[in-house]
Amino acid sequence: MDLSLTSDQIAILDALDGMVRPYAAMPIGATGFALTSADLDREIGESGFLDVGRDPDLGAVTAALVVERLARLPFATEAAVSALIGPLLGEGTGGPLCVVDAARLHRPLRFLAPGATVVVLGDAVTSFTAAADQVRAEPESLFAYPMGTLLVDPSTALATRHDISPDHVRTHLRIALAAEAAGLLSAALEVTCTYLADRQQFGRPLATFQALRHRLAEAQVRTNGVRWLALKAAATLDAGDAALALLHAQEAARAVTYDLHQFLGAMGMTLEHPLHLWTYRLKALIGELGGRAEQAAAAADAIWG
Amino acid sequence: MDFTWNAEQVAFRDRLRGVLAANLPDNWEAVAGHGPGSAEITEFSKAFCAMLATEGLLTPHWPKAIGGEGLGPWHQTILAEEMWGHGEPRGAQYMNVNWIGPTLMRYGTPEQQARYLPGISAGSAIWCQGFSEPGSGSDLASLRTRAVRDGDTYRVSGQKIWTSYAGLAETCFLLCRTADDRKKGISILLLPMDTPGITVRQIPSIIGEGDIHELFFDDCVVPAGALFGDEGQAWEIIAFSLTNERLGIPRYHLARAALDRAVSVLKGRGAFVREGVRAEAAKAAALCEAARMASYAIVSRRAGGEAIGAESSSARFATVMAERAVAEFVVEYLPEALADAEPYLKMHHQRGIVAGIAAGAAEIQLNIIATDVLKLPREAR
Ligand SMILES: Cc1cc2nc3c(=O)[nH]c(=O)nc-3n(C[C@H](O)[C@H](O)[C@H](O)COP(=O)(O)OP(=O)(O)OC[C@H]3O[C@@H](n4cnc5c(N)ncnc54)[C@H](O)[C@@H]3O)c2cc1C
Repeated sequence: MDLSLTSDQIAILDALDGMVRPYAAMPIGATGFALTSADLDREIGESGFLDVGRDPDLGAVTAALVVERLARLPFATEAAVSALIGPLLGEGTGGPLCVVDAARLHRPLRFLAPGATVVVLGDAVTSFTAAADQVRAEPESLFAYPMGTLLVDPSTALATRHDISPDHVRTHLRIALAAEAAGLLSAALEVTCTYLADRQQFGRPLATFQALRHRLAEAQVRTNGVRWLALKAAATLDAGDAALALLHAQEAARAVTYDLHQFLGAMGMTLEHPLHLWTYRLKALIGELGGRAEQAAAAADAIWG
Repeated sequence: MDFTWNAEQVAFRDRLRGVLAANLPDNWEAVAGHGPGSAEITEFSKAFCAMLATEGLLTPHWPKAIGGEGLGPWHQTILAEEMWGHGEPRGAQYMNVNWIGPTLMRYGTPEQQARYLPGISAGSAIWCQGFSEPGSGSDLASLRTRAVRDGDTYRVSGQKIWTSYAGLAETCFLLCRTADDRKKGISILLLPMDTPGITVRQIPSIIGEGDIHELFFDDCVVPAGALFGDEGQAWEIIAFSLTNERLGIPRYHLARAALDRAVSVLKGRGAFVREGVRAEAAKAAALCEAARMASYAIVSRRAGGEAIGAESSSARFATVMAERAVAEFVVEYLPEALADAEPYLKMHHQRGIVAGIAAGAAEIQLNIIATDVLKLPREAR
C-alpha cells in the first residue's frame, strides 16, 4: 500500500498540466453554456495522455488521474471514456467515445456528435461511428457538455462487436465517471472558495461566515472521498468498488452543486461566472447509468450478493 | 500508487487474526460489549497485552531501540483495524501504544522514559488523558486547572471531566496551567493517580461502563520531576500527540464491520431484499470506504515521512459521516440488534456517537478544513 504518486505519474501530470495551461481559464467574453475547444481536443488526442491506460505499468489508475485533472478545466473534453474504456476496445476506435446503455437510448448523450464512436451496452458490447444523419445536436441541453441525441436504433447500425462483457465496460465507465466527477467537484469548489474569499458583505469576506465555511468544508470531505474511491476502483477494477465510487460521486454531486450556486448568490446564475461549467457537468453525471439507485443496487449486489 | 497490501502486511494481518482467535475466550463478544473502559476489559487487557508484548505485537510500530519492531504506520494501522475490529481487547491500553508511548519517546526525560515506557511496552500500564474541563471542551486552551511551582514540587488544583479510563488508571497525562498566557501558559504533568487529593467520579453514560469520569484535584502535591517537556510546552507536544490520536481508532473499519454484520443478520432472516434497504446499506458502505481511503492517504504520507496537517481533519469528518450512516442504518432496519443478542452492533450503536465529539468535535474539524485545507480567510470572531 503506497498512495503517493509514482515518479512516472508525477511526470505525466506535470506534462499534462503544462500542456493544458492555456485552457485553464474561461476565455473572457465567453457566455456559452458548454465550453469546448477543438484545439484542446486535438492537442489532447495527439498527446497520447488518453492512452496511458494501455500501458500496463501505468494502467487505469494513471488514466483516472489524467481524467481527474482534465475535468478541472473549464472546457469540456471527452477524456474519461477514451482513457478508461478506449483500452478495452482495442486499437482504431478514434474520436470522442460515447457509451450508450441500450436500455436508456432516448436521452441526450454527452459528446454524441457525427464522427463519435458510439459504444452500445446491450446483451453484448458493440460500437459504430455515428454518421451525420444519425445524430441531432442538442445545443439547448441544460448541461455543460456538448450533447446529442441518437436518431437511429443502434441494433440496425452496422456495428463492430467487441469481445468483452457489458458489465466489464460498466465497471470501467463507473470509474471513469467517478474520476471525472472528482475533478469537477474540486474545480467547482475551488472557484467558489476564491469568490467567497474575495466577495465582501457586512464589511467582511463572505468566506469568514461559519455557515458557509462548514458546508464548503463538507464539500471538501466529499470531494476527497470521491477522488480516492475512484482511484481505488481504478486499481482493483472490482465491480463493487466501481459502483461505490460512482454512487459516492453522484451523492456528492447532489449534495454539493446546489450549495455552490447558492453561495455565489445571483452571480451564480450568470453565464459570466464559470461555476456552471463544472456544476452543470456534475448535474449531467448525476443521471448517468441510472443514477444513485442503479449504482447502489449494483454495489449491494457486488458486495453482499 | 499501489493499493494492495504487500506479502509482509498480509502475513502480519493473518498472524494477528491467528493470535486473536487463539487468545480471545468463547464469551469474548459479551465481554467486549461492556466497552473498552469497563473493569472486565481492563482486567482482561492486562493478560492480553502482556501476551501481545511477548509476541512482539503490542508495539511493533515503535522503534527497535525501545522495544518495538520498527514496523511503521501501515503495521500500526493493520494492528488497530484488527484489534478494534475484534472489540478492542487491548482496552484502555490502545491509547498508550498509539500516542502516550511515542510522545514519551519524543519529549520525555531519560528518567521518565525509564519509569513509564517499560510498563507500556509490557502491556501492564493504564493511563488516562486529563485535558477537558467543565469550562474547556473545544476551547481547550481556556483550561484552568492550576499547577503552582513550590520548591521541588508542583501543587495542583482544579477539575477535569470526560476523562476516559480514569477509574482504573495509574497515571494521568495532565494538562494544567502554569502561567496566564493562553497557550504558552499550559504545561504537562505526568501525575500518579494515587497522589493524595485526587478524587475520581464515574459519570454514567450512554456509551458503556467505566468510560468517562470527573477528576478533582485538591491541592495535590507532585515532585517537580513530573513536569513533562518544558513549562509552557504543552501545546506543541499535544499537537504532536493528537495527530497520532486522531488516526488512532480506525472507526471507518469498525463502522464497516458493523454494517457487514448488520447485513449478514438481515440476510439470514431474508430481510435484505427491498431496494431501499439495500441502497441505504450501499450508501453507508461508500461512506465507510471513502473514510478508509482518506485515512489511508494520511497513513501513506506518514509512512513516507511527511508531516501531517489539516488533512487528518478531513479524514476525521469523513469517518463521522460513515459512523453516522451505519448507526442510522442499524437503528432503522435492525433495531432488535441493539438488545444484547448482537453485542458488537450494540456497542457500535452506543459508541458511534462518540466519533463526532471525542478528540476534537466534528465542527472543529470543519473549521480546520476551511482554514487550512481550503485556505479561506479566518472566521470572524
Ligand atoms: C467518549 C468520550 C471520551 C472522552 N475522553 C476524554 C479523555 O479521556 N480526556 C479528555 O480530556 N477528554 C475526553 N473527552 C472530551 C472531549 O475531548 C470533548 O468532549 C471534546 O473536546 C468536545 O468538548 P465538549 O464536549 O465540551 O463540547 P463543546 O466544546 O461544548 O461543543 C459542543 C458543540 O459545539 C460545537 N462547537 C464548539 N466550538 C465551536 C466553534 N468554534 N465553532 C462551531 N462549533 C463549535 C462543537 O463542535 C459541539 O458540536 C471525551 C469525550 C467523549 C465523548
